[in-house]
Amino acid sequence: MKASYFETGRYLVSPDLPREWPVPSAAYDPAAGAEAFRGMVERAKFVEALGFDWVSVSEHHYSPRILTPSPVVSAAWLVARTKRIKIALLGPIVPSSNPVRIAEELAMLDTMVPGRIVAGLLRGTPNEHLSYDLNPREARARTDEGMELILRAWTEPQPFGWQGRYFQYRTVSIWPRPQHRPHPPTYALGTSAEAADFAARSRIGLGVSYGTFDLVAKSTRYYRQQCVRYGWEPGRDDILYRANMILAETDDAAEAALGRRDAQAGFPLRAALRDALVQADARNIGGEKRPAHVSGALPISFCGGPDRVIEQIRRCREVVGAGVLDLSLQDPGSGSVDGMLRALELFGDKVLPRIREI
Amino acid sequence: MVETAAASQPFHEGFVEADSFCIRFMEAGQGPPLLHLHGAGGPRLTRAHDLLSRHRRVIAFEMPGFGRSPENTRTRTMAELAATMATAATRLGIDTFDLMGTSFGGKVALWVAVQQPERVRALVLEAPAAIRPAGTEPPSGSPEETARRLYAHPERLGHLPVIDPAIQAKTRTLVGRLRGPDRDPELERRLPSLTMPTLVLFGTLDHVIPPEMGRHYKDLIPNCHLVFVYDAGHGISTDRPEAFAEVTADFLERHEAFVISRADTLIHP
Repeated sequence: MKASYFETGRYLVSPDLPREWPVPSAAYDPAAGAEAFRGMVERAKFVEALGFDWVSVSEHHYSPRILTPSPVVSAAWLVARTKRIKIALLGPIVPSSNPVRIAEELAMLDTMVPGRIVAGLLRGTPNEHLSYDLNPREARARTDEGMELILRAWTEPQPFGWQGRYFQYRTVSIWPRPQHRPHPPTYALGTSAEAADFAARSRIGLGVSYGTFDLVAKSTRYYRQQCVRYGWEPGRDDILYRANMILAETDDAAEAALGRRDAQAGFPLRAALRDALVQADARNIGGEKRPAHVSGALPISFCGGPDRVIEQIRRCREVVGAGVLDLSLQDPGSGSVDGMLRALELFGDKVLPRIREI
Repeated sequence: MVETAAASQPFHEGFVEADSFCIRFMEAGQGPPLLHLHGAGGPRLTRAHDLLSRHRRVIAFEMPGFGRSPENTRTRTMAELAATMATAATRLGIDTFDLMGTSFGGKVALWVAVQQPERVRALVLEAPAAIRPAGTEPPSGSPEETARRLYAHPERLGHLPVIDPAIQAKTRTLVGRLRGPDRDPELERRLPSLTMPTLVLFGTLDHVIPPEMGRHYKDLIPNCHLVFVYDAGHGISTDRPEAFAEVTADFLERHEAFVISRADTLIHP
């Protein structure tokens, strides 16, 4: 099992900050922002020294909860200051981006640090569709097309035009091309049947997140079935699971931390807006209809002392089939960074060496 | 824009004699002539013909031996068929023309272009079958199987084309005789001499000829543009007629300059 640490920027939130998305820019503290970005590098170096395989970054907008609107900038910042750890961009939000630009920027990163870039391509959480005025009803189709265009831009040797539904280019011919041929390790991120179909057809990995093992297993099972249909079998690293973990020295201490956890989302949408968004944004898990997650804190998938967490990871491997865990050891935008660093250290010392064979 | 142009006119049937063949064609529209050579399955008008006929005089030929025409036992090679089709254009009083070929018809169109380059203003090749991976077989089987291989979205056909066994048998013999090797050295040797603007289109879901074949045309034809039509199969103009017709009409109008965007992105003045 490989381990990835999900780096979110860790902006220290003051108690008087407005608690609604979008958070007013006026409430932004430049000193806290500068500290957050310095901290990203410290933590990336820290988990690298602990033996983590990857550090992952994501794309989120308009709140301090995750302070990284550009995963490419985050990745460039981290990759230049670390030595061997892989940087996983999980990932650029495809439907509201220029796919050719994503292909170019990831190819740049892959050329700067060959073999150290992992790409995840996704549709984005529903609130992110508000960031750049993306119609949620078009998000799925734009994602599918954008992902296909990115793969084509990475692999097509001749200049080409793209006559799409949502994207149109008369001339595409990217420089640089990715160093890693045909392209860096890539995941379609999402639990939907569409994401799994695309991943299976394109022979890339699938990244699922946050649901219970049994729930996300519906998606990874569907993915495996589709891979068989397309004549291949995914390897261990082809299934990635992003999840929250509460790890403490003992099971009791972890349970106590779970009990103290705020079940509310840090910066929720207004209720009427949330409901309207759920209406507009149809989602599914492996083809089974399911509403989008737009409120409440994300669930905890792993909780306990090292032994119990290792058993949970073993079960995750069996049920979900994941070969890479992308972990948050503390909710973004909450609590002290010191507590998270202690948990990371504990993971590096007591868990990581014992999950390699799982 | 194709979509906002004037309403199309119905296609009407005509006949022209060339090399002692009586060649049927369907024609609609006004403007510069655009000749179309169909695929191995025979002539079939699509919505793309309709859209293109709003800008030009579209003449969709039924090549001798295909469709409703009598069995063709005389034509021996692609080059001969190409010469016959060029003669048909001459008999219609058309000197220079834009030429569009679909799949098998794409290979015929390339032969017309290398034989009479001065007559071809621009060339459009829809999923051309002139360069194929070794062992490529034309679609066959039941109407359902054939449709699944030809189209990414057979459901958009409305109803499956009825396959007449007699037509199928005579066409298969003819195509088997004419289609030539998967890589035709004689044709490929002559492609670098072509100078007319050429547009090659492949659907990203082409299950007859992989879209990766498109790059070979770019390699061989000096003034060639390659366009991938997303979510379309081998029958691009059936799967995504609007997308096919838009880029084709733009290319035929502006040639190389079609890469300069004219899309209006102003939201409010």
